[in-house]
Amino acid sequence: MRKYTIALTAGLALAAGCIDNTIVTPENAPTVDALKGDLTDAGVKTLAYGVLAQDRAAATTFGYYLLPEIYARNAYRIDSNEPRFVTETLGGNADPGSFAAGGAAFTSPFVAIRAATALLVALPKAVPSQVSDAQRNTTAGLIQTIKALDYYRVVETRDTLGVPIQALDELAPAAPLSCKATVLTYIAGQLDSANTSLIAAGSGKLGFTAPTGFSAYGRDYNKASNLILLNRGLRGKVELYRGLQRPAPTAGAFANAITFLTQALGGAAPGAVSPATFQTGAYVTYLPGGTENAPNPLVDSKVGVNPKAFAALQAGDTRASKIIKRSTLAGSGLSTTYTYFGASPSNSANQLIPRAILRDEELVLLRAQAYFENNQFAQGTLDLNSVRNTYGLAEIAVPATLAAARDAVLYEKRYSLFFEGPQRLVDLRAYGLLKAGVTPAELPGDPFNTAEPIPKGEADARNGNVTVQCP
Amino acid sequence: MKIRTLLLGVAALLSASVAEAQQRRITGRVVAEEGNTPLSGAAVTVVGTTTGTYTSEDGRFAINAPGAGSVNLRVRRIGYQQKLVPVSSVMTDVAVSLTRDVLQLEAQVVTGTATVVSSANAANAVSVVNAEQLTRVAAPTVDNALQGKVAGAVISQNSGAPGGGTQVQLRGVSTILGSYSPLYVVDGVIVNNATINGGLNVISGAGGGNFSGSQDQSVNRIADLNPNDIENIQILKGPSASSIYGSKGTNGVIIITTKRGAAGTNSIDFTQRVGRSTLANKLGSRCFGSAAEYSQWAVDNLGVDAAGAADAAKEYTDAKVKCHDYEEEYYNNSGVAYETIASLRGGTQGGSSTYFVSGLAHHDNGLAPNDFYNKQSLRVNVGQQLGSRLSLNANSEILHTLTQRGISGNDNNGITPGDIFSSTPSFYDLRRASDGSFPYNPSAILGNGSNPFQNAELIKTPNNTYRFISSVTSNLSVYNSERQTIDATLTGGVDTYQSKDRIISPATTYVEAATFGALAGTLFNSDGEILNANLNGSLVHRLVASMFTAQTSAGFRQERRESNITQLTGRGVIFPSVTNVAAASQTFPNASIGLTRDFAVYAQEEFFALNERLLLTAGVNSEKSSNNGDQQQYFTYPKFSASYRLPRLPSFASEFKLRAAVGKAGNQPTAGRTTFLQNLLYEGNTGTRASTVVGSPAIRPELATETEGGFDATMLNSRVRLSATFYKKKITDLLLQAPIVPSTGFQVKYLNGGQITNRGTELELDVTAYQRGTTSWISSTTFSKQTGFVDFLPEGVAPFNPGVGSFGRYGNAWIQAGQSTTIIQASQSCSGPLSASGSCPKASRVLGLVGDANPDFNMGFNNQINIGHLRLTGLLEWRKGGDVVNLTNNYFDGFDLAKDTAVSRLRYANYLAFNGAPYVENAGFVKLRELTVGYELPSVLTRNAFGGRAQNVRLELSGRNLKTWTKYSGLDPEVSNFGNQPLGRFQDVTPYPPSRSFFLSLSSSF
Repeated sequence: MRKYTIALTAGLALAAGCIDNTIVTPENAPTVDALKGDLTDAGVKTLAYGVLAQDRAAATTFGYYLLPEIYARNAYRIDSNEPRFVTETLGGNADPGSFAAGGAAFTSPFVAIRAATALLVALPKAVPSQVSDAQRNTTAGLIQTIKALDYYRVVETRDTLGVPIQALDELAPAAPLSCKATVLTYIAGQLDSANTSLIAAGSGKLGFTAPTGFSAYGRDYNKASNLILLNRGLRGKVELYRGLQRPAPTAGAFANAITFLTQALGGAAPGAVSPATFQTGAYVTYLPGGTENAPNPLVDSKVGVNPKAFAALQAGDTRASKIIKRSTLAGSGLSTTYTYFGASPSNSANQLIPRAILRDEELVLLRAQAYFENNQFAQGTLDLNSVRNTYGLAEIAVPATLAAARDAVLYEKRYSLFFEGPQRLVDLRAYGLLKAGVTPAELPGDPFNTAEPIPKGEADARNGNVTVQCP
Repeated sequence: MKIRTLLLGVAALLSASVAEAQQRRITGRVVAEEGNTPLSGAAVTVVGTTTGTYTSEDGRFAINAPGAGSVNLRVRRIGYQQKLVPVSSVMTDVAVSLTRDVLQLEAQVVTGTATVVSSANAANAVSVVNAEQLTRVAAPTVDNALQGKVAGAVISQNSGAPGGGTQVQLRGVSTILGSYSPLYVVDGVIVNNATINGGLNVISGAGGGNFSGSQDQSVNRIADLNPNDIENIQILKGPSASSIYGSKGTNGVIIITTKRGAAGTNSIDFTQRVGRSTLANKLGSRCFGSAAEYSQWAVDNLGVDAAGAADAAKEYTDAKVKCHDYEEEYYNNSGVAYETIASLRGGTQGGSSTYFVSGLAHHDNGLAPNDFYNKQSLRVNVGQQLGSRLSLNANSEILHTLTQRGISGNDNNGITPGDIFSSTPSFYDLRRASDGSFPYNPSAILGNGSNPFQNAELIKTPNNTYRFISSVTSNLSVYNSERQTIDATLTGGVDTYQSKDRIISPATTYVEAATFGALAGTLFNSDGEILNANLNGSLVHRLVASMFTAQTSAGFRQERRESNITQLTGRGVIFPSVTNVAAASQTFPNASIGLTRDFAVYAQEEFFALNERLLLTAGVNSEKSSNNGDQQQYFTYPKFSASYRLPRLPSFASEFKLRAAVGKAGNQPTAGRTTFLQNLLYEGNTGTRASTVVGSPAIRPELATETEGGFDATMLNSRVRLSATFYKKKITDLLLQAPIVPSTGFQVKYLNGGQITNRGTELELDVTAYQRGTTSWISSTTFSKQTGFVDFLPEGVAPFNPGVGSFGRYGNAWIQAGQSTTIIQASQSCSGPLSASGSCPKASRVLGLVGDANPDFNMGFNNQINIGHLRLTGLLEWRKGGDVVNLTNNYFDGFDLAKDTAVSRLRYANYLAFNGAPYVENAGFVKLRELTVGYELPSVLTRNAFGGRAQNVRLELSGRNLKTWTKYSGLDPEVSNFGNQPLGRFQDVTPYPPSRSFFLSLSSSF
């Protein structure tokens, strides 16, 4: 009997010894609790990189880097496994629930905006001994500029369909969709606020080193003084399109745009910007492989150049080098033998090609456009010809009409900014050119899409209410 | 005062152990009615006492009965109907013959962690599948072997790929986002049934990116088990029975008991099977009848000009074979499948030591070249009695599987055979040339030269898994008197495995070169380490009084579950012979770590009265888990049940039992306990931001409450058994993700809420239709019908696509209050005029609910006919209704390459015009799951042939999934592109085709 008592006791002791508690700390990733408390310099850097990385992600979505180029008749994506790249772009309207609607190009910028807001709210709590006032102001200026940029990215893809202005309080109900004029005004305000911070930073700079796209391309945007140039450039761009919006263009917008863009170009006179600085600007950089795995998304065997884009090149235009031959890419009624030079998967270096956020060549072209719209044809022509000279084309005479001037600037913007973003889509719809009878149909039933739809997820979460509110 | 009363009551119960009075010795012999052979191991108890013993190898027993008067002996043995034997005061020796329990009327079914009850008394409809039913026909996995045999279980394989991939769903959909698998328990150990994604996505691009995904066509790991080691499987179908498993019981529990040794007998069982698998169904391709027809096709589908059309015509004209049957050419792996099973079973006289040792070597061929499934296992189960009160049982199994499942399923890179066949005009010859080379596939649709024969030859997709499952149970008889026993049981067990997946896709394949360019050459390594460890302790007190028997049990259960999965994808591996991912130009790491700890305490009271006709049970399980928002909070799951066997029955009836049970069980949240920070790297610098998925500290288990009632009737001298069960299962506190307006910067938040209600009917009819001498016909029919509806969703959760794998344009799962949980939503109609190209403008598209994946009902027809030495068995499964979204047809339709062009064109036109849901199809079927014809050699023959050493020598021809009758136009109505998931299993995307298997087997005992 004693043996059994020992056995029972041993069993109970064994059981008791094996029992452990049920408290388990998540091991896969940190939780938001880790962000509570004051911000160290390392914390500022980590959160800032979170914003910049998310902005890169926003710029890397199909709905941002390629779909607008498809809508704008520069690109095709033909995939035998996925006809919706054609049937819901050039062959028909996009299903708002489909990937072909570019949903991530809507949602991803808002994640960057939320991250930017979180940092801007937390920045005043930065530890003074680790983050100086100048560093704090420079960081605030950078992050608020990026926040404005992400709002503008949404406007580029959604146009007049509405853009909500996110509340500062993350627990607040979702804001209604605001009309384009309201959003552009808000973006302008954000940029001006950021500019104020940057001015306050004086000769200061960031307390950390931003990604190389902010320093390796001719200008060091770690400095507040250079970030002002980026900020003003964006401000000028926004102002130009405030002037082009219909039916209620912002009065004086073109003149303001010229002022901002001239400031962004360091005060350079029309036609005086050196072509050597055309590539100067802020860039998104890519790094394939590893945990980061952020290759340039254009490296894609299914991407082709719309043959009409190649056919429209003027003789001698050296920008033709951006378009290269490829094997026939065909399907769903489309066919091409061209692709963008950076799209070829056979050259792994293409995965590293950076994409400009804003570079000086675009600023010159935007200013030319603003001059034309502001009826300053001579100045606009000077800026435009500085670009044409660069690419082996003869100068144009001062256009006789605004229509001719627009045609001229649209040509230069098309090939200077080829496959660099939604610029051409924004211009074509601003001038009402994406419609039957003006632009040739790509396929029977070509809907001439001018904007990506509000994603189904956004509409569903709003119970279908995507009414745009305009004051 | 109450405590004092309670103590007095306990004292009174204990004092029921009356002083030993006068005893007398009763001896006897137990034999089988059929053949009069002695039965060893039969339990003999004196009714109304705890006194009992077991028969020896010659069937004899001796027992001390109290008092000098008459007593009743109860004699039980597994596989036989129990018998109550009156022994008068003058009798000292009795003869007992037991009748075989062919209808399993008295199987012992689980009621608690350490308690069982005869199914004759059970208050729940617990299905029991025995070894013979499981292994009649060779089955690659346990869940395959259960198909069609359990009322209330929908068991569907995901594709025909070798090695398994099957989902078991008991009593309908019980969760939307939570864990959906039943709990599997092997000899007391809760075992893992995870699916570790095998990485196919890195070459198929089904979900994009460089990591594994849910479309990897992977296997749920219960497939590792060796069906031949299983003594029986008990299936607790819902919370009214599975409440004892607390917050893991909602989806039901499958309790597997492996074979044990037997006292006194030493026998060797050996079975050798050989066979093969063949293509059971194919889709075919369009055959072009002329060069003109093909050139017109090229104009219509490739947009070629006149010169291109002429080239196309020449291509056709030059082709030697105008129409290849690609499926017949490709799915033609003619290798031999085999299965070798050997076991050694025995024990000492008296059973103080028992053992069961078994081994398995199993090999299946896949249909495609180089695909296969190998499994080996070695099991050792030993039992040891240590003195009169302590016993130990140790069960251990080592398993190894090596599987190559090939490439199938959804594909965005033109690599799966189905994708290639649907995109290649059928006159192109893709077969390996005589010089050993593989032709470049000229299909302009694919544009990548992808050749399935080359892919099968050069691309390897092995999964290699080593698994160890072991448990040790000790049972101590703490107290034993004539009226009372107290037993303490401690069970500890572990289930651990290492699963390695590899994808080796060399740069030399056409598809790699075209898809990945400079980064052609892909390697994927996945190392998954899984550990489940359990510790259960229980005390069972049994009190036998003249008026009642009461069994009280209480205990605890501790569980720890760990998973550690590390994956690495490499691209740009230039040299085909290199399989080290470190040699890749670019690598993409991924890893996840999981740790869960649970602790539960439970208590249960079972009360027999009215001469064991009435059984009342009440139990409660209280459990906390690290998966909950509050990791220290206990969640409680009670249960109550009652059964009553009617005493007075008409003459044709043997037994009629009414039963009712109600119980609660939970389903632990699998996520959502907290909001994580998400790291984003930028040029190697770590950035961070809040995840777009918002967690909740209040997240808790889903709660299922089930009410079950029914009756079991046996009639006509126990030759007919009818069981009917009706249940209602209500699941509340569903784990849900409420969408947050994405423009807030967040996507979803976790919460508990909403309600699902499942209702169902299960019928089982077992009939010994004929039995005379050695001729018998036993028929078992199961019927189950269940419906599940979303009663309501919590505030803030609008109807939603639950986010499980789906293709919205064609048909996706949809959760909406008032609708079936398995409803299918798709773009259904066009409210306006079509565009010039025949498509429906965006503004005019209308979404609709277009189908339901839930079958109307399931039936199983299981028949066994014995005529002398000949045995014929057959199992038919009928699944009526249930829809599938057939995207495979869309693959063919898009390029007008389907075999039936008229049907295809109409379907595709309807698709473009949003006219109905042309890819949603009724997927009902009747399948001949199993068919065997066996012959047992006469003993005279075996005696002469084997010198008396061999017994029960049997030759058998068997087949699995031999024939399917269905109107479904796809390869197999059992299909799930996304593998196992709670909803949305209804996607058919170029799956691995189904096979039919034939085996010839020879089995014998020595």
